[in-house]
Amino acid sequence: MRALYIWLSRLIALGVVLQVLFVAWGAFDILKNAGDGVAFTEDTDANVGQMLHSVVGMMVIPALALLFGIVSFFAKVPGGVARAWITVGLVVLQIVLAFVSFDAPVVGMLHALNAFAIAGIAGVAGARASRASRPDTSVAAPVGSSDPGVTAGA
Amino acid sequence: MTALDDPAEQTTTSAGGDSYALSTAVAVAPPPGGAEAAGGRSWVRHLARWGAIGLSLVLVGTLGYLWFDSRVPSTYSVLDMGYADFGGGAVPLAGHQHAGGVSVATLTGPSTGTPAVLVTLTARKESFTLASGERVDGYTLNHASPGPEIHARVGDLVQVDLVNESVPDGVALHWHGVRVPNAEDGVAGVTQDAVPVGGRHTYRFVARDAGTYWYHSHQVSHEQVKGGLFGALVVDPASPIEHDAVLQVHTYDGRRTVQGATGERPISAPTGQPTRLRLINTDNGPLPLSVTGAPYRVLAVDGHDLHGPTDISDRGLMIAAGGRADLSVTPPAGGGAVRVDLGAGSSLVVGPAGASAPAAVTPSAVVDLLSYGTPGPVDLDTSHFDRDFELSIGRSPGFLDGRPGLWWTMNGHLYPDVPMFMVRTGDIVKMTISNDSGEVHPMHLHGHVALVLSRNGVAASGSPWWTDSLDVDDGESYVIAFKADNPGIWLDHCHNLPHATDGMIAHLAYEGYTTPYVIGGKADNAPE
Repeated sequence: MRALYIWLSRLIALGVVLQVLFVAWGAFDILKNAGDGVAFTEDTDANVGQMLHSVVGMMVIPALALLFGIVSFFAKVPGGVARAWITVGLVVLQIVLAFVSFDAPVVGMLHALNAFAIAGIAGVAGARASRASRPDTSVAAPVGSSDPGVTAGA
Repeated sequence: MTALDDPAEQTTTSAGGDSYALSTAVAVAPPPGGAEAAGGRSWVRHLARWGAIGLSLVLVGTLGYLWFDSRVPSTYSVLDMGYADFGGGAVPLAGHQHAGGVSVATLTGPSTGTPAVLVTLTARKESFTLASGERVDGYTLNHASPGPEIHARVGDLVQVDLVNESVPDGVALHWHGVRVPNAEDGVAGVTQDAVPVGGRHTYRFVARDAGTYWYHSHQVSHEQVKGGLFGALVVDPASPIEHDAVLQVHTYDGRRTVQGATGERPISAPTGQPTRLRLINTDNGPLPLSVTGAPYRVLAVDGHDLHGPTDISDRGLMIAAGGRADLSVTPPAGGGAVRVDLGAGSSLVVGPAGASAPAAVTPSAVVDLLSYGTPGPVDLDTSHFDRDFELSIGRSPGFLDGRPGLWWTMNGHLYPDVPMFMVRTGDIVKMTISNDSGEVHPMHLHGHVALVLSRNGVAASGSPWWTDSLDVDDGESYVIAFKADNPGIWLDHCHNLPHATDGMIAHLAYEGYTTPYVIGGKADNAPE
């Protein structure tokens, strides 16, 4: 279970990285086409980058995050449940921010910022979990200074 | 299980144990060696563990149930989906009409008589070249997109033979805005089966109302209409209009065109005389237009003439997706032309050959049809209603046929749990359409034309405004009325066709009528 927890955290962080790649591809594709005289209206098809961004963002990452939250109950990772469910919460927030941004594009900046938060918390969750499975390093732990769970005993 | 059975406890020291306890929100400090306390702690951890399992099961179970429940069968009748809404009117003894009743297949146009207009349309999936040179992979009728322009005169019997030569998904032709008998409405899975490759289907109807209409595929329409399977239908009044032009606006592969050509389109028009421009928005989004060089008038909306139209000089006009507007433009004396800007690099230059038009100016406001023109006679008694329907459009997270997402809702439900508006022949129907979904929706009712009564509580004060494709913007609420005088089963849907694909399709059904056709089935009917 802990291994699964670690892998899910990595997949979520990787998913966020992919999302950044896809959205950049989509944006540059629009610029290129606009330069070629294509108009962008309700009738313009989403390009490949945008479509991938939408599928990964609306389906893949939410499914991974939910699984991550559930697995966290059984992975016995110190602080793991909280980190996993914060990830789930941020993913939900991310979707909300995306739809708000369609009406108010400037909110898109928060969408981007929140993406880093998702990758960050998922990455930290995975790193902590893999550290916790190696006893010697977890006790040494200067990292523990920021983690009340670890400092309590260390 | 004791605390020591836990691998997390074994592999780590008390540090790991502490933080796990915290992580499960069990804030019990480990007392050194207290057997009783350890037992209590084990009990609490048991509880937390079973709680977690229970919570996970509830979560997965709920999502799984919602997913399972959202799936739409591959074949079903539109009469079996959603729920009947009687709008406060008479409820038949048998309740929601399912079996029995008159088949809509019998509701054809005149089967005898020589048609005044006879057209054969052959549908193909092929690549073609726009009039302005760009290649498009799409669909054609008689090797052209837009398809042939059909002209009829009021009262004419029109016959169209549709042949499908190479459209793999099948085709069906819907006469948008035309009040045809139900069997001629061209909706695959509701009023006919999609015409397969090699098949043919004949449409026969009498053109009752003069005006600007169009026809388009209503089988996999979000793809086929976008790809070019449409054309114009103009019903001329008894006394012909001297100068007019049909202008279908369509976006092919992201390129906005008029009559199949990008860029500026010259329209030859005499100076000092009005020319009627029949604009048709065949796209999925609203079409904003502006006119510079001379004032203009809006003569008709959705094929129905406005009463007392006045000159407009500082406002643009918005045409809903699927909607039409007839403008009157008079090139000014002095040889100049008038520009009608259609956005996205597309415009009309109306005037004598070679005349140049001023550059487009983006108007600060658009004409409000609610107060444009002057009140006139209305052939609809709106003092009493037999049915009073609500159609509220929203957006909500959920599963649509198994796909998670943020989907459009009608009266709070996702497709297929949408209302079936039930009427009796002769009913006067009132419908309140409100939109709180964040986007504009061009609502299109088949087979009828509706009168706009009010918007956001403000009564219509201009010309009678008859519509079949009404843009209901976010935050708006329209009250419309129509007479249920065309029996059958009719679609009432969003004409932003991808929205229809995502479930924005309700129906208007007449009591005592049924359809033998099904969505899916052998013909793979997929109207949206």
